[in-house]
Amino acid sequence: MNEYRNALDYYNYKNNNYNNPTFTENVNANNTYDPYQGFIRGNMFPKLYNDYKLSSPVQLDNDLKTYYDALCFAAHDINLYLDIYPDDRDMIMAFSNYSNEAEKLAKEYQSQFGPLFVNSEANMVYPWAWDNEPWPWERGGN
Amino acid sequence: MWKYEKKLQYPVNIKNKDLKMAKYLYSQYGGPDSELSAALRYLNQRYTMPDDKGKALLTDIATEELAHLEMISAMIYQLTKGATIEEIKNAGMGGMFSMHDGGLFINDPNGVPFTTSYIETSGDFIADLESDMAAEQRARATYEHLMDLTNDVDVLAPLAFLRQREVVHYQRFKELRNYYLDKKIQRKD
Repeated sequence: MNEYRNALDYYNYKNNNYNNPTFTENVNANNTYDPYQGFIRGNMFPKLYNDYKLSSPVQLDNDLKTYYDALCFAAHDINLYLDIYPDDRDMIMAFSNYSNEAEKLAKEYQSQFGPLFVNSEANMVYPWAWDNEPWPWERGGN
Repeated sequence: MWKYEKKLQYPVNIKNKDLKMAKYLYSQYGGPDSELSAALRYLNQRYTMPDDKGKALLTDIATEELAHLEMISAMIYQLTKGATIEEIKNAGMGGMFSMHDGGLFINDPNGVPFTTSYIETSGDFIADLESDMAAEQRARATYEHLMDLTNDVDVLAPLAFLRQREVVHYQRFKELRNYYLDKKIQRKD
């Protein structure tokens, strides 16, 4: 299921089909949110989600940057879960899927916005691209 | 070792200057339950965790806390960028300005400098994990106070994200502590 969903998301991303997001809200308490829904909540686990002040999570731009951030976040939150439950096969699968998808997007992201890592391919250029603004803390940064 | 990724964990793009809010955010930059405090606390405690689960979890959460410290500094930086002397004085930041100009200093909103006495380490992994659970709860409460202090959605969105991370971290620490107690895990060395 996860594999299918990721492939579909990637297809939509490739085809600029952002107005039809395939990240749908998953309310199954035993399951996880999709990367986007988890990311805007800061939590991949519906059972754990607990909000404050805001009546609904703040939506983010439907773009490559959000999509990459969301996949990184999904993999990271599952990483913390797996540290404690290392024999959960489904979650290991989800972690691999999200990590692999993030890695694919990282390539494209960096070709547009510059290197994320000093040793990325996007930094093997002249002149040296690592120094270029904006830095993450600057408005409009990565 | 650590590898820097040139992006924030969650985006911070604040359009409106708000020096008072920037001042309050120092609670999470250099206060007792700040992101810095959390990162150092977990990094420092991981050496006396009794098994691989504990070593992994503390390493990974500490790493995430460093990313949160970067988000808080991004918020302070953007909220204060281009501030005039008058605005600084009106926000009660004249004291900080006299010592640090526009530089970020690791202190709390009242100028009390960060100290390692904020970081608890007992060498007893149950005591440490329970203090980590409490630290996550205190940080969650701090984020709620910070959210009470603003209605700017550009500021609320990253604060809500950071608050939620405290909820998740608390849960993972609790699960680890319960596992150690249930299985009667002992440190080997």
